[in-house]
Amino acid sequence: MKLVDAHKDKVFGMVRRLSGNNQDAEDIMQDTLVKAIDKIDQFRGDASFGTWLYTIALNITRGQFARKKQTELKPIEEYLPGATADGNHSGDEFALFDWKDPHTVLEAGRLRDIIDKATNELPFKYREVFLLRYVEELSVKEIARLTKQTEASAKSRILRARLAMRDMLATTFEAEYGKKVS
Amino acid sequence: MEKKCPDYISNLNDYLDGGVTPELCAEIEAHVGQCKNCQIMVDTLKQTVRLCREGRPEALSPALEAKLAGLLKQHWDKKFGKK
Repeated sequence: MKLVDAHKDKVFGMVRRLSGNNQDAEDIMQDTLVKAIDKIDQFRGDASFGTWLYTIALNITRGQFARKKQTELKPIEEYLPGATADGNHSGDEFALFDWKDPHTVLEAGRLRDIIDKATNELPFKYREVFLLRYVEELSVKEIARLTKQTEASAKSRILRARLAMRDMLATTFEAEYGKKVS
Repeated sequence: MEKKCPDYISNLNDYLDGGVTPELCAEIEAHVGQCKNCQIMVDTLKQTVRLCREGRPEALSPALEAKLAGLLKQHWDKKFGKK
């Protein structure tokens, strides 16, 4: 029991971020603990107990969201503004919005809501790798293992997720305060 | 042939996360130094991660903590019997 206490906050944090809402996160935490007790005799000690519990929770979360319809993201090159004849995207008409530092323009609560909304709008298979890489700070190798794909595929998915997040934030920031900083 | 913006985009994450060779790093920096859009792309990709890391701490509420403790004890007792 003490072992669970030591790791429950970290596991809950990951599940809450991935699921995007408290109700799903609570249900997944309950399923995780029940499964951990059921499978405790399979815990071999070759990973830490925390990692083992984390993996159970991640698998339950993945199982739940994988069933939902996944939208696809656009190809990587399309995150660049329209290419000019020379292959670059330097024309003024294709200028990217330079959002500067949103903290100086938006209230902390509003900024948080924008980030949460963008995160939740990422299709799950992209949201999971983005959050595992940049918030949970797992290595690409570890993410590939946990999400059952090759490292090359995980790497590509992480890049697309990051570009899509950037794109969504840029669109929202521009709508919120584009005229003030341009 | 001179590389253009689309040639660099698939390397941007490796560049930002420190996973490119010194040669490619220098090449990307030279390009970014003269391309305003790529400069914005690099800066805002960095900020995207920074902003997401600033998230609210996700701690268990006391009510959920109590609920989970009860569930854990109940399930443990069921599997291994009360001691």
